[in-house]
Formats: sequence, structure tokens, C-alpha cells
Amino acid sequence: MLKYFRVKSQPDKVVPNLGAISASLLESDAHLPFTIRQLNNLPENVKRRVYRGLIPPALLTRFGIDPIQWTGPNKAPMVFLKAEPQSEKVLITARNSPDPNDEFFALEFADNSLNGIELNLIVLNDPTTPRYSIDQTEDGQPTMFGTLKRNMKAEEAAKDSGLAPGQIRAGLGGSRIVFEQIDAFLAMLGHRAYFLEPLTYASAWVFERRGFAYVRGHKLMDDIQREFQPGGALYQCLDDGSAFRKQDQASTVRGRAWAIHDGILEALDLRWDKIRMVKQIGRHAGVETFPQAIY
Amino acid sequence: MPDIHRITRAAQLESLSDFREFLKDHCAGYPRVTDEILYDIQLAVDEACTNIITHGYAGMDPGSIILDLELTPEKLIITLTDFGHAFEPESAPMPDVDTPIEERELGGFGLFFIRQSVDDVEYRTTEDGNTMKLTKLLM
Repeated sequence: MLKYFRVKSQPDKVVPNLGAISASLLESDAHLPFTIRQLNNLPENVKRRVYRGLIPPALLTRFGIDPIQWTGPNKAPMVFLKAEPQSEKVLITARNSPDPNDEFFALEFADNSLNGIELNLIVLNDPTTPRYSIDQTEDGQPTMFGTLKRNMKAEEAAKDSGLAPGQIRAGLGGSRIVFEQIDAFLAMLGHRAYFLEPLTYASAWVFERRGFAYVRGHKLMDDIQREFQPGGALYQCLDDGSAFRKQDQASTVRGRAWAIHDGILEALDLRWDKIRMVKQIGRHAGVETFPQAIY
Repeated sequence: MPDIHRITRAAQLESLSDFREFLKDHCAGYPRVTDEILYDIQLAVDEACTNIITHGYAGMDPGSIILDLELTPEKLIITLTDFGHAFEPESAPMPDVDTPIEERELGGFGLFFIRQSVDDVEYRTTEDGNTMKLTKLLM
């Protein structure tokens, strides 16, 4: 499963930055949560040891990547860490060839304004499947995964191939182990929760299944469920007027997601915007806004 | 082992009936949970959720309310979790119940009803949300 989130600009801090991690700090209070910035200020090798815990080893060995060395069968680096000192973000990517287009894993975390953790980006895609250029226009301009501009031709092809909006390739599977790994990693740091903003209806649905609840947007998800029922306002907008508004889309997560991506929520005077989700560490919220859904 | 059950719904008034039904479904027939106790906890949950809906998520598209129900032979514990604005029950004034009803100010009775309906109320705000823990003794 591939999922993209909006990468947000850095929020203003409303709490002071915590100091550096020292041996005495580690000894003194096991409950104190560490920030990404604190981790990024660690010496390179220490930082690398810590962030190694963010990627499930099984995901790397699946592609012949050494989970300790982060190198492929030919000893070339296949996992890349961007965690600059003083930065409040960390980005880890993995690919199965030297070509950056063959990236199958990407994860970006950031400190938020309350010293909590934001998951800004997660990508899990199958690099062996065809790529759909929904992330750029036909003349090469970035689309921000279709949120800023749209490459209609590529999106239609992606939809016909069974992808959800925001996906450039078929999903890899394995999101369950990735989220379990994230829970374990953040528990190790002392955090009790983390937050994200789902880019699409389909990704929000996936995150529900992975145990997330809503900080904002639970009612919107309920409204969407109700209005996609036969006779509902959204159902009536599926008039076969475009490739993204076919009537059979009401019954599937992906179908609804494409229609919402196409702006169908305007019928309710709403937009897919500012949805915010939270995952409590070790806890499954049990949200199910589309019961018995077909993906 | 206590019986633990969970329901999560959007913070909107339409969800209140789901919470009431959920409590009824899981408490009915449980030893020592009388109709009166069931009524008390339904009232407390109704009031607490109404507070979350009208104040906690004020000004935003509502998020979730998670209700955890724990049943033991001695007590019944309900934990409500939300992710809206924090609320400090200690700062809420107790309503004046001695004044004649026609002279009382509207509102302010939610917390009063909650405290009257259960044996203990604990409220906590942390980075992973706001929780209100309601304990009803079954002795």
C-alpha cells in the first residue's frame, strides 16, 4: 500500500527546544519524550543506530538489503537517512536500485509545535510495478500528488489500474508491520501518540484500519459514508460525467477517493482539507467509518 | 480478567444514542448492574460526551470520542478519550442548586450531573488526548 501525506511547512514552536541527549539524561528519566531534533543532534553513528529502528528489517531483506549496513547485494547504499543537526525532521528512504525512481519506502517524521510527533510522509510502493506520473504534469511541473495540479491522463490510467489517488505505483503491502515498528520506535523515545494528515479518503480509511482516530474530520467521514448511499447527495453526483465520477465508485474506498479527489465534496459545500488523525501508541481506536468496505 | 469493550464514534450529538445502546448491550445482565446503575452511567456518559461535543471540539470539524468500558465484579469504569480542546473540571463552578429554578442561570449542570451519577471522576490531559475516567461502584 502506498500512501502520501502532505508535507507541511514547519510549525511555530510553542514550547522550548529540549537540550541535547546526554548519558545522565538517559539515566535520569525514562519517561521523558525525546524530540526528533534531539536525535538529530546526536553523533552520526549513534543517530544511525537509533533510526535503524524505524524500518522493519523484513522489509529490507525482502529486497536483498542488509538491515544493518543498509547496502544492497552489490554493497551499494540502498537506504538513505536525512537527519541534519538542528533539524526537526528526519527522512528515511529505501530503494532497490540506484535509480531514485525505484524508491519503495519513505518515511518522514517531524517535531510539532508541542514537542509531539508528526508523520509527514509515508510511501510504501512496489517498485516492480508500472509507474504512473500523477506527481507531475505532462510538461513536467510538480502536481503535489494531484493536490496542486492534475495530470488527468496519468490519473485516469492509474485509476484504471486499480490505484488510489496519490499513488504513483501499486502498493507494496506491509503497512501493518511498518506501523507496528513506528509504535515501537516512538514508545522507545517516550511518546504516547503521533499525528498525521491523510492526503486522501483512501489513506484515511487505511489509517483507520491501522488504529488511528480523528482529531478533526470524523464527522466528515461519517457524512461521506451517508451521502454515498443510494439517494445521497454524493451518490447523485456520480453521474458518469467523467472518468472519476462513475456510479459504481460509491461502493468502494478507491472509487469514493477518486470522486473526492475530483472535487465531489463541493456538492456538500465541503473540501477534503484539514483532516487530522492521531495514533495512540499501542492502542487501536477501532474507528470504522465505512463498515464492510471493499477497498 | 475484567471485561473490556470499546466503541469509537464521531463527536456529534447523533452518536449519543450509539453510546447509550453500547452501554446497555454490554451491561445488561452483568451481575450487580441494576437498571438504576445503568441509567446513572448512561446519564454521566451523555453529559460528558455533550461537553466534549459542544466545548471540546468547538470550532472544528469534530474528531473522535473513544469510549472504553471495563467491567469487574466490584466496579464499572468508563474512560472517554477525545482529542479536542482540553477542559479542566476543577475550574468549572458548581451550579447553585439552592436558588429557585426560575432564577438559576442556564447551563453548568453537566459536571454536576456526572458527579452525582458516578462515584469518582478523574480528568487528565496529555499529548495523546483528554481522558475522563468515570468509576461506578457495584457494591
